[in-house]
Amino acid sequence: MEFLYSLPFRVLEVPNLKIKRPSWLHQPSSMVMFSLVLLSYFLVTGGIIYDVIVEPPSVGSTTDEHGHSRPVAFMPYRVNGQYIMEGLASSFLFTMGGLGFVVLDHTHSPSTPKLNRILLISVGFLCILVSFFTCWVFMRMKLPGYLQS
Amino acid sequence: MVPDSGGYLRTSSSSGWKSLITFTVLLLAWISGFSSRLFAVIRFESIIHEFDPWFNYRSTAYMVKNGFYNFLNWFDERAWYPLGRIVGGTVYPGLMITSGSIHYILHSLNIPVHIRDICVFLAPVFSGLTAIATYLLTKELWSAGAGLFAACFIAIVPGYISRSVAGSYDNEGIAIFALQFTYYLWVKSVKTGSIFWACMASLSYFYMVSAWGGYVFIINLIPLHVFVLLIMGRYSDRLFTSYTTFYILGLLLSMQIPFVGFQPIRTSEHMAAAGVFALLMAMLVLKYLQSILSRAEFKYFFILAASIAAGVVFFTVVVLTYAGIIAPWSGRFYSLWDTGYAKIHIPIIASVSEHQPTTWFSFFFDLHILVTTFPVGLWYCIKNITDERVFVVLYALSAVYFAGVMVRLMLTLTPVVCMLSGIAFSRLLELFLKEEQNPSQSTFSDSDDEANGDKGSSRMYDKAGKLRKMKHEQQKEADGLGVNIRSIVIVAVLMMLMMFAVHCTWITSNAYSSPSIVLATYSQDGTRQILDDFREAYYWLSQNTASDARVMSWWDYGYQIAGMANRTTLVDNNTWNNSHIALVGKAMSSNETEAYKIMLSLDVDYVLVIFGGVIGYSGDDINKFLWMVRIAEGEHPKDIRETDYFTDRGEFRVDSEGTPTLLNCLMYKLSYYRFGDLRLDYRTPTGFDRTRNVIIGNKYFDLTYLEEAYTTEHWLVRIYRVKKPDDFNRPRIPVSERKIKRSKIFIPKKQTNKRKKGLIKNKPVVVKGKKPSRVS
Repeated sequence: MEFLYSLPFRVLEVPNLKIKRPSWLHQPSSMVMFSLVLLSYFLVTGGIIYDVIVEPPSVGSTTDEHGHSRPVAFMPYRVNGQYIMEGLASSFLFTMGGLGFVVLDHTHSPSTPKLNRILLISVGFLCILVSFFTCWVFMRMKLPGYLQS
Repeated sequence: MVPDSGGYLRTSSSSGWKSLITFTVLLLAWISGFSSRLFAVIRFESIIHEFDPWFNYRSTAYMVKNGFYNFLNWFDERAWYPLGRIVGGTVYPGLMITSGSIHYILHSLNIPVHIRDICVFLAPVFSGLTAIATYLLTKELWSAGAGLFAACFIAIVPGYISRSVAGSYDNEGIAIFALQFTYYLWVKSVKTGSIFWACMASLSYFYMVSAWGGYVFIINLIPLHVFVLLIMGRYSDRLFTSYTTFYILGLLLSMQIPFVGFQPIRTSEHMAAAGVFALLMAMLVLKYLQSILSRAEFKYFFILAASIAAGVVFFTVVVLTYAGIIAPWSGRFYSLWDTGYAKIHIPIIASVSEHQPTTWFSFFFDLHILVTTFPVGLWYCIKNITDERVFVVLYALSAVYFAGVMVRLMLTLTPVVCMLSGIAFSRLLELFLKEEQNPSQSTFSDSDDEANGDKGSSRMYDKAGKLRKMKHEQQKEADGLGVNIRSIVIVAVLMMLMMFAVHCTWITSNAYSSPSIVLATYSQDGTRQILDDFREAYYWLSQNTASDARVMSWWDYGYQIAGMANRTTLVDNNTWNNSHIALVGKAMSSNETEAYKIMLSLDVDYVLVIFGGVIGYSGDDINKFLWMVRIAEGEHPKDIRETDYFTDRGEFRVDSEGTPTLLNCLMYKLSYYRFGDLRLDYRTPTGFDRTRNVIIGNKYFDLTYLEEAYTTEHWLVRIYRVKKPDDFNRPRIPVSERKIKRSKIFIPKKQTNKRKKGLIKNKPVVVKGKKPSRVS
């Protein structure tokens, strides 16, 4: 065994190197992981892949009856199309709703004082409700007649 | 509908109640899932939908009629004329076998159900099984309550309903069940480390392979799970046992499917699994060496061996790929990584609308509230990580990415979203319901077993867990929140779930329940009009054309023509031969003379085009036309150029500003033949195309080489007969010079019928020695 190990060093000279394991390389904590995951989730649900492939404009524009062009944030009636900004806005809402649920969960750590808890609950809850209803409004913009008939 | 009933499990005091509630909730999930998929059947009739299901139905009917072995050897000469198609070897037979065996069992019980009804209702029935498999998987990952939530979610979530409504008889309908069940068995086998569960997992994997091409997802995700566990230092003997058993058995079983054949050992998609298998073996060898070597020796040896092993595996794969023994990634999978690849190189993949990248809208449309709770469930899983939760995290991440690349893969994302949202909701309700009941509960008896589950421990009856729990609860009780706040939160969450159910039902009813071969429009007063043009046209084909007539159409309609009209098609939805499709695309996009040469060489008798300009149907051939041009250009770049079909400003338009190439190509002419004379209503001029809202550019033209054979009621389907060369190449003779041969004695049939039999008026009397005189 010993002979086998020393075999390469008859030819090679051992360089005087000290390779340290870089200090930042360690198993990431769960919070870091989750932030990364949430970021990528934010990007994907915003249709970033669609934006890369199809390359839509960031905001659309239309001409009204006077001939002025005015910006349109949402591409209406088109289920398979979007502008960049609308995608980002709605994926921001998705993420906000998700964070609202996480905040709601945090209210139950026993060390928080009561006032903070109530604040946390209301913040979390507000996030959820705002994101929910804004998404609903977005749906109505995108698909007039949503949840009707 | 029912998703709110999951959280109350823990109120039961005995296991009897618990299983009763579980059973009831799962049953309700099954029933509601089944019934919400029946919109199409109730509104229209028990009919097969869309395109691919028609082929599946046709081959199932063939299998039921002719037996399994004849089905495996079936050479379909009516598809891909003149090539034909070996159906048995180019199809995933799981779907046909499933419905065929159901048919067989029912018939041996003397229940005479037509095979079509089995095919129509197969997917809704399997959705219930999917719900149960999801319940089992989520139960393994988190707790039974979360499992019930997940089961209820998946029963009604639109992302899954879109592929499993009654009548959409497609591979995905049963494959999602197989997917979830395989994952459940895999998680179970990793948890227990028993060979039994690993064998079951590979059997279930076998079923999945036989059912859907998406099995590649499993065979890459499970090795990824193993690999990540290795990196995280979570290697265990359980992992080794389950993965090696699963891989070897799964490999052998998957190679039994004729369509898959030797792919598992020869293509790059499957190489990750083999590599991880080798890595596990190397790991075990190292473990063994560790036991016989000293510590210092081992440290040195480990680095050397690890790098050598990795290098050897990598180089083997590279060399084998280079030598052509391992096929490189197929385009369909490659486009998942390099997202622009399909757009440039394989227009036929990019042309399918379900292969488009996903927008935000689809996420919300298909998942609704679950899209926000998905990261929450993920957060819980990452926070309390265990071996099996690593799996679900990986599943979630890869599925999210794939769903972003292709709309179609929303389907694989949906189950994991349901599972994680189930976890999130169950945890939330637990937190907010628990405190409410704690004061009334005098003792912490064995009733809180589910509460232990949420602590993230798989040791449910662990004593230490219970003690810690008690302390935790008491602390909470000390400064708990008011009942009001909690009940407000709970009511609001339940309202949101209710909105989710309403959303799901609305989406199912409005978006996913149209058979797409029967169209329905609603007029102002709410009455419904059924446009049954497709079936009208196919029925016309089956009744009025020769049995061996060849029908040319764009590939979307190939399966339907074969299934409903039973006529030979040139191309169909099994897009295996790109050049053949390109030839049809070339015929459609070149002018009539050129197209006629192609059609003659392909022996085409009829051409079928879909035209939506009269009723404003947007999925017609003119809208798909650019893809035909692109696909044709890919194979025949000299003859067809995409730029010829765009105006100078780069627009695709069919009105008078359209390019002459477009206005004279075959597809344009066939779509708009005689359309210039048609005035749809009084406000619009003649030749007004409702789909594109323009007046067509080339109104009056004649067809030389084709003639209109049939146009359906709303002009949706137009069928043209291709004239044979002898039909029109003859010189024209003026009427006066035409000589018409007549038989010498011409008695009009109508007159003879009126007369009585055997009586002949003006019967010439034969007088001998005299010529008889002619009457006429």
